[in-house]
Amino acid sequence: MEFEPVIGLEIHVELKTKSKMFSDAPVVYGKEPNTQVAPLDMAFPGTLPVVNKQAVINAIRVCHALHMSIDQELYFDRKNYFYSDLPKGYQITQDKRPIGKEGYLEIEIDGKVKRIGIERLHMEEDTCKQLHFSTFTLLNYNRAGTPLIEIVSKPEMRSGEEAMKYVERIRSIVVFSGVSDGKMEEGSLRCDVNVSIREKGSNTFGTKVEIKNINSISYIQKAIDFEVERQKKLIESGEKVVQETRRYDDAKKETIRMRLKTDSVDYKYYPEANIIPIRLSDKFVEDAIASCPELAESRKERYIKEYGLNDYDASLLVSEKAISDYYNELTKHSKAYKLLANWVNVDVAGYLNKNNLTIEDFPLSAEKLAGLVSMVEKNEVSSNQAREIFAKMLEENLDAKSAMSKLGISSQISDESYIKEVVEEVLKENPQAIIDYKEGKGRAMGFLVGQVMKKTQGKINPKLTSDMLLEELKKR
Amino acid sequence: MKEYNIEVLKDAANRLLLDMSESEYQTLLSEFDIVTKQMKAIGDNSELDKIEPMVFPFEIYTSELREDEAKEPLTREEALRNSPRKVGGQIKLPKVVQ
Amino acid sequence: MYRGLSIEKLHELLVNKKVTPLELTKEAIELAKKDSNNAFEYIMESEALAIAESLKEPEVNNPLWGIPFVIKDNMSTKDVPTTGSSNILRGYVPVFDATVVAKLKEAHAVPIGKSTLDELAMGGTGTSGHLGTTYNPFDRSHTRLVGGSSCGSAAVTADGIVPFALGSDTGDSTRKPASYAGLVGFKPTWGRISRYGLFPFAPSLDTVGIFTRSVKDCAYVLNATAGRDEKDMTSSVVPVHDYVKDIEKFDKKRKIAVIQEILDTITDKDIKKAFLDNINKLKESGFTVEFVHMDTKMLASLFATYFVISCAEATSNNANLDGIKFGPLSKGDTYEEVMKNARTKGFGELIKRRFIIGSFALMKENKEELFVRAQRNRRAVVDKLNEIYKEYDFIYALAAPSIAPKIGESSDRLSDEYLIADNHLVLGNFAGLPSLTLPLGLKDNMPFGVNVMGKAFDEVGVFQLSYEIEKITGLKDLVAKGEQK
Repeated sequence: MEFEPVIGLEIHVELKTKSKMFSDAPVVYGKEPNTQVAPLDMAFPGTLPVVNKQAVINAIRVCHALHMSIDQELYFDRKNYFYSDLPKGYQITQDKRPIGKEGYLEIEIDGKVKRIGIERLHMEEDTCKQLHFSTFTLLNYNRAGTPLIEIVSKPEMRSGEEAMKYVERIRSIVVFSGVSDGKMEEGSLRCDVNVSIREKGSNTFGTKVEIKNINSISYIQKAIDFEVERQKKLIESGEKVVQETRRYDDAKKETIRMRLKTDSVDYKYYPEANIIPIRLSDKFVEDAIASCPELAESRKERYIKEYGLNDYDASLLVSEKAISDYYNELTKHSKAYKLLANWVNVDVAGYLNKNNLTIEDFPLSAEKLAGLVSMVEKNEVSSNQAREIFAKMLEENLDAKSAMSKLGISSQISDESYIKEVVEEVLKENPQAIIDYKEGKGRAMGFLVGQVMKKTQGKINPKLTSDMLLEELKKR
Repeated sequence: MKEYNIEVLKDAANRLLLDMSESEYQTLLSEFDIVTKQMKAIGDNSELDKIEPMVFPFEIYTSELREDEAKEPLTREEALRNSPRKVGGQIKLPKVVQ
Repeated sequence: MYRGLSIEKLHELLVNKKVTPLELTKEAIELAKKDSNNAFEYIMESEALAIAESLKEPEVNNPLWGIPFVIKDNMSTKDVPTTGSSNILRGYVPVFDATVVAKLKEAHAVPIGKSTLDELAMGGTGTSGHLGTTYNPFDRSHTRLVGGSSCGSAAVTADGIVPFALGSDTGDSTRKPASYAGLVGFKPTWGRISRYGLFPFAPSLDTVGIFTRSVKDCAYVLNATAGRDEKDMTSSVVPVHDYVKDIEKFDKKRKIAVIQEILDTITDKDIKKAFLDNINKLKESGFTVEFVHMDTKMLASLFATYFVISCAEATSNNANLDGIKFGPLSKGDTYEEVMKNARTKGFGELIKRRFIIGSFALMKENKEELFVRAQRNRRAVVDKLNEIYKEYDFIYALAAPSIAPKIGESSDRLSDEYLIADNHLVLGNFAGLPSLTLPLGLKDNMPFGVNVMGKAFDEVGVFQLSYEIEKITGLKDLVAKGEQK
């Protein structure tokens, strides 16, 4: 029997707004516990929710990027249950009328484009943070009330790889749109995966297993691949897949049971009567979309079409928003698009990797780096010299010219008539080399270039020199 | 509608994280009888199913949303002042097993 | 000396410097301390004296300047214990003021205490608060109830301790006790007064309520408390009026409807006669009063509909009371045990039953037949009301079928009788309409009242008509006679 995996993802994204979803307490990380709360976040009696405009704008941006139909009337509902991290005893969410419905995103798999359907996107609020010790748990309400959007896919993914790519696309969208930090390790992007298998070609669904608490993108693929195999083995050996919640253990490289799923919880959803229906005007929606920063796909297309970059380089540039932003800054100071791309993808990236930094920590401003790259473009320095200068610029945070003078490098000579003069002089002084060259002796060219360098203390552009030599040699 | 009896009511109470005395459950049972009977009588009107459920007292909408500005939060002391048990600036509970 | 005086009268005395806020406050505090009706949860002695002392120059155009008042203990008061008359909130001291409280403080009125209520406002007899029964001051032998849930606020106002008190109204919790205590009890249009800081019972029905001893006084209080609040999304952007300015300018062309079927359920002959006499007097004075009809079955459905919706909402609104963020310490080996112990010990039996019913009504298997059905019926009822309001501007009725019941006579336990006469005031909550109770007469020395219900946001009209009725009955500034026992 041939099996196919059926995979659906529920992703929670923490929004990077200044204040919370329903209260005006700050959304900030890393502060002392219980110092970022408003009365509503502590669920003090009599407090009321007031919807955050930016959270709605952010949700609209993501809905739009996911090609969803946007509901311009906002309704909120209560999801009622008791848990230690839920201050009000209910969560305000959107049950009946999610702000976004019926969308999709495209991933590239096996060289082809595959569309994954997205069922819904809705707004809700986050719970408190719990810190577990051996005999007690501590509650920190700073996070309580942080805006969340939940994105529920259709169960249309068929492999761990597809799921991973789906998550990468979602992350790219939420980061580029300025809506979230999208960091799985920090919890601003959380994935719950639902995995089941069925006979290939079947229309029914197998028993679903939920995998929670996956905290890195690479684990998504590993967790799913393991789980699919596990379920296959169960069925092949005549056993049944049990409905349960599991977690992924990367040390053991397997999914492990957390708890069995009993009868589904009844959340007693009903409308939130403290929030009257909100009507969003067409203009509001349009402005929310128009104000969205350019997304990765669109930037990549632009880099390819307008700047002539190849797919690989363009993809590298948009792999991180901050990198793409830096590149965009560079292009404001220089039009050497391909060169700039190379410098970012190779030299800057190399520096960051070596020093374990992110682009946000990169010391050189775009203007400074663009200055250097312009000089390379105009052949004022050789590539090797440029790298030396780059290192100096980084070391002392200088602009290109200052670094050059500190290193004692002067601008390369690119004046063609001068180069011709020197070349002619060298050829005159080294007739044997000309003969050697004509006889096909490989070292002759190198020798001649070296002679030119010697005469000019290396200040002459080597490429232009060899071009000029070739030309002159042809004539002799 | 779910069949109800004392056991069902006890289970409902349990899910609400509260408990009552036996006699109170008896009182509750008779109250249930009254409410469900009256609701059933209301339901005898078949026209009712065509009417939209009402959430708010009248038709009302807003386009006003809160500007995303963080305001001064409570001090930690204010936030935790009323909590009966705390440790190191956080509220303390017995270990929560997930 | 100043006991029982109206806001209007006190304002005159204050402006003319015949009395100071400090003197008024001191007297009110003394009276409060002597209260034997079990009307206070907490007396704000030091807080009130501090505020009163700071008020030096009377504000001529501010009728509430220096006026003492009482707050129902389900409204958040900063740094003052607020319990909702429930053990689960023993010791809870809020860090913020309810908007309505803040507004009254800004108007330099002086809050002198928090009054008792039926626990968490979920009751109608004034017996279920954690301090026990609140008595009706009109019966000094303490054998009669003052009703609920705003029992304490009604008692303090009827006893002349303060000229006004805040209540709340979800099904009739201000307007019914007002009838039993000879008071003006008013609920505005839904959203007219901010609910920020009011402990929620059923937000789709809840409003803040006002008790005074005259219609005009009530309008003064509404002037100071009405208006949009950014902290309450349901608070209205409809412009606020000056509710006092044109209070004497009722337009007699506006029509008044009396629902025949409600009147038919009144069995007390004296009260019924008083009402009919009053209607005749109104007609004779040129008011248009006509009888209209509403299906009895529909009227009979009001109670269950209200009960299901309010219990369901209440269950959810009180899920935050778990002994973790506030409330007395409760023990347990797991968080569930901690919560369960807190809630089992902290809630009274009555509201536990309400919560369980409410929770049951929201369960998947029951939701359609209970909660949703009640919501549909609510719309059916409101549609019918709106039909009446197409032709009429006000609906007029007896606020209660009897004088204040004797303790033990009335019960918060559900009974099988439909009790239309006891529950019709909930029409004002279903449709969110402004509704005012004022005294009609006395029987056996106990007051009984009538109720005027207007169109949404027509508080001006409701006050105007009530003012006229008050002139006709001649009953205002009623204070329970005799000293407190």
